[in-house]
Parts: sequence; structure tokens; C-alpha cells
Amino acid sequence: MFQFVVDVALRACDLMLIAVGMSAVYSLMKFPNIALAQYAAMGAFLAIVLQRAGLPLVPSSIVAVLIVGVVAVLLNRVLFERMLAIGSSTAMIGSLAVSMVISAIFLVIIGPSPARFNLEITRPLRVLGARITEHQVLSLGITAAAISVFAILLFKTDLGRCMRATATNNLLADATGIDTRKTKTAVVAISACLAALGGIIITMKGEVNIQTGLDLLLPVFSAAILGGLGNPLGAVGGAIVIAMAETLITNVNFGPILGQDLVFLPAAYATAGSFVILVLTLLWRPRGLFISEVKRV
Amino acid sequence: MFDFLIHVLIMCCLYSMLALSLNLQVGFGGLMNFGQIALFGCGAYGAALAYKYDLGFASGILIAVGLSAFVSWAFAGIGRNLQSDYWGIATLALAEVVRIIVTNEGWLTGGAQGISGIKPLLPELSGRSQQLGNLAICGAVLLVALLACMRLTRSRYGLGLKLMREEPQLAQSVGYDIMSLKRGCMIFSGFIAAAAGFIFAHYITFVGPDQMFSSETFLIWAMIVIGGLGNHFGAVFGAFLLQFIFAFIPFVKDMLGLPTEFVAAMRLVLIGGGLIGFILWRRTGLFPEKVGGRADG
Repeated sequence: MFQFVVDVALRACDLMLIAVGMSAVYSLMKFPNIALAQYAAMGAFLAIVLQRAGLPLVPSSIVAVLIVGVVAVLLNRVLFERMLAIGSSTAMIGSLAVSMVISAIFLVIIGPSPARFNLEITRPLRVLGARITEHQVLSLGITAAAISVFAILLFKTDLGRCMRATATNNLLADATGIDTRKTKTAVVAISACLAALGGIIITMKGEVNIQTGLDLLLPVFSAAILGGLGNPLGAVGGAIVIAMAETLITNVNFGPILGQDLVFLPAAYATAGSFVILVLTLLWRPRGLFISEVKRV
Repeated sequence: MFDFLIHVLIMCCLYSMLALSLNLQVGFGGLMNFGQIALFGCGAYGAALAYKYDLGFASGILIAVGLSAFVSWAFAGIGRNLQSDYWGIATLALAEVVRIIVTNEGWLTGGAQGISGIKPLLPELSGRSQQLGNLAICGAVLLVALLACMRLTRSRYGLGLKLMREEPQLAQSVGYDIMSLKRGCMIFSGFIAAAAGFIFAHYITFVGPDQMFSSETFLIWAMIVIGGLGNHFGAVFGAFLLQFIFAFIPFVKDMLGLPTEFVAAMRLVLIGGGLIGFILWRRTGLFPEKVGGRADG
């Protein structure tokens, strides 16, 4: 039973940081940025490259996260702002195009085979009968810390107040003297950093390849929409619900219902489950499970 | 070389049908469908299932039509209250669900192995004359599809579609039923896409879930954005242009002695870069939509 909780927590922490970033950037920029899932893979690749170049894991991760933040700001200035002036759907197609170009860059520089960090392999710990490795514990800790820092930033600092004001009413925020462009740039950077950190955490527990970004895209969207796009902390709840659904689908024995001993769904249906939840949410609660200020669906 | 050219031309015709179909949805109806490849898959699996269960050619067409009508209807149905970018995410998720189901329900669809050995369209011919026959069939179907699309968009129904794209509320106020417009547009264009899939299955004689990756949808998107949204000739031209460029990338690779990854990377760069470039600098595409007067584009 406790193993189930651990599995859900681990999967949720895979999705959480990227979903929070997706939701945060949506709240200000008003378009679903597909490239954000690629920023996660970019963070992981950069950290691996830096580690291979001789830096220890922690500094190389920090540098990678910062580089991704800078890249995101540049892309936003050069491409997305201009595309957004045309329309949010256009910006979404543009972000899709950007993510394809990023894939091509990965393919040329890193190649199609998966990459992983150079980490010591440790024996799994046993906690209340559940197996969990040190890296997994560490990833849970980093996720919790990053979410807490982001929440404090959003609710206790001036920047956070500016962010929430701009998200609620851009024009009014402008009129009250908030530099909305600067605020938006800050959010783009923060969300990209969260996504990159999320990618590094996923890679700490396994590996990263050129498909990682696109594979993450729909589960992350599901989590962010379930939490209400534009409501960053709602995405935390969304990620937990998606992770629970995915874990349940693969772990529940459907045998008794169908009159057989053992019937398990194939593992690939885990992702299908999260997509179905996404579609159902869009049908019945397009504003997400939680009450939020999202006006536009 | 000649045989290769015929193969490329056949693929051009098939992708032109897919582009025409997507252009009808995106360019005329404003429906941001990111699941186009699922409609193609309906046609392909219609042919494959009819072959696997020995039902004959005609029932293959019936299965293809039925499947594509159902999937198009489902796509249109989830879009009821959603804005276009949300709807795009939902269609992307649905197309992935279709692919995952096809991959995992091996008893019906042959799973990841797919279904191979499907009879060619002209079994009595062989070699080059068979290829030429295939090309003639593809060209004829493409022509029929093109004429049908042109007729449709010139009619009052087509004007309704354009009005739905520009001003949905105005369309509603002058008595158009938005839902039935959407449904009609999706189902009609679904048939064209399914026709392409059906012919493709008989031409390649193999159908598998690998043909249904979302990246194919993105390719079709690039074709219509480059060709010109809302212009049928643009869609066909975009499909021919990209297919021809793609066909000759491997030769460039051999000439320059580059590694195999170059081909895949180059495709991604062309699709992504083409989308970005045309969105930023030539939003109307190579063939702009004809606006005003007698619209016969």
C-alpha cells in the first residue's frame, strides 16, 4: 500500500514542476507553450553535458537551469511576443515549431541514444515496506523545496504581487504602474527554470532522450489543465491526480469485475488514462478542478 | 530513379489529400485540429481490418468511412465550448489515445507489428505499370477531392464556415448552427483524410501504429501554413513542395557524407523553421486566401 503512495509521489514529482511552470507562463502570456516540455529535456541535456565536462552534479545543474531560463527569455523576446501579437493559436503553433527545432538540435548534438547522469548506483532503502532509492528521496525533496520557494515568491513578494495583478487584469496592472513586460519576462524565466529543474529531476531517476520532451507534453498539459491553466499551485493538485490515475490504471486488478483471476491493463494505457482525464476535464470542467481566476477557456 | 520519382509523386498526392482536408478545417473553419493523423489512421485501418478478416474491398471502404465519421464526430463533439487552442490540445490527446489503443489491442489490430500483406489496388498489374496505375488512382482521387473542396467552399455552406472562423457569434446570430457546421466540416474533411489512408494502406501493403505518430500531423500543418491557409491550391502545393524536399534530403546527405541523424534533423528543422518563418514573415503563405469578390480559391 505504501508502495502505491511512493509510486504516485514519484510520478507526480515528474510532472509537477513542469506543470506549475506551464500554468504560470499561461497565466501571463495566455497561450499554452508547447516548447516548455522541451525546456525540461534541454535542462537535463545541458546538465549532463556540463557534468561530462567535469563539473560536479549540483553546479552543473544550477548552470543548466540558468542557461535554459536565458534561452527561454530570448525565444520569448524574438519569437513568441511577435506571434502573440497575431493570436494565441498562432503562438501555440509557433511554440510547436520551436520545440521541433529544439528536437533537431538535440538530434544533431547529442544523437538519438538516451543519456544519463554519471551517478553512483545505490541500494534501495526500505521504508514501511516500500522500496525507494536515495535519488528518488532527493528528487521528492528538491521538488517540494522548489514548489515552496515558488509559492513564497508568488504570494509574499512584490514580484509575485505584480505577477498576480498582471495575470488578473493586464490593462489595469499597466495603468497602476506595474511594468507588465518586465513581469512577463520574469515569469517566462522562472517557468523555464522550473521546467529545466523538472527535467533534471526526471533524469536523476532514469535517463533522457530526444523523445522525453514530447512524451511529457500531454501528461503535463493534463496536470496543468486539471489544476486550471493559469493557476500555478492548482497544477500541483493536477499532477497528483494524474499520477494517481496513471498508477491506479496499471496497478489495479480488473479480474474480479470481468470474472477472471488476473486482468491487468498494459502499461501503455497509463498515459492513455491521463489523456482521457484531460479530455473529460475539458468537457466538464474546462476551468479546472479548483476555483481560480481563469476567465478564458 | 524513375520508379523513385513515381513513388514520390504518389506520396505527394496522398499528403495533398491530407493537407486539403486539414486546410478545410483550419484554413476555412478555423478548427485547430492537431489530431489529423488519427483520421488518416481510420482509413488505413479500414483497409487493413477488411483484409485481415477477409471482408473484401467494399467493406473496407465502409469500415474506413464509419471509423473516420465516428472519430471526426468525436473531435467535433469535444470542441463544443472550447477555444481553439484548448481544442487543439484535446484533439492531440485524442489522436494519441487512438494510437495507444491501436498499439495495445493486438487481437484486433495486430498491435505494434501492424497488419501486413494487404492486397495492392491493381493486383493484375505488376512492376512499373502497377506503380503508374497507383499514381493514376491517387491523382484521380486527389482531383476529385480538390474539386469537391472547391465546390464546398464556394457554396453557402463554405461561406458559413468562413463566418464561423471569423465571427462565431455573428454566424450564430444570423442563424448558422455552429455545432452542425463544425460537425459537417470535420466529417467531410475526415472522409478525404480517410481516403488518403485507405489508398496508402493498399499502396504500401502494410499498416501499423508507427504511421500514426503526431509528428505526421505537424508535418501536414507545416504544409498548409507554407502553402497558404484557406487556399486549396496552396495546400496541394505545400504538400508537393515539402514531400519533394524531403525525398531529396537523403541524397544531399550522401553527397556531403553526413551521418544518418542528419536526415531526421533536417526534416524537423524544415518543418519547424518553415512554420516559424512563414508565421513571422509571410503569414498568408505562398498562395494567400482570396478574399472578397467571387471567392473561387
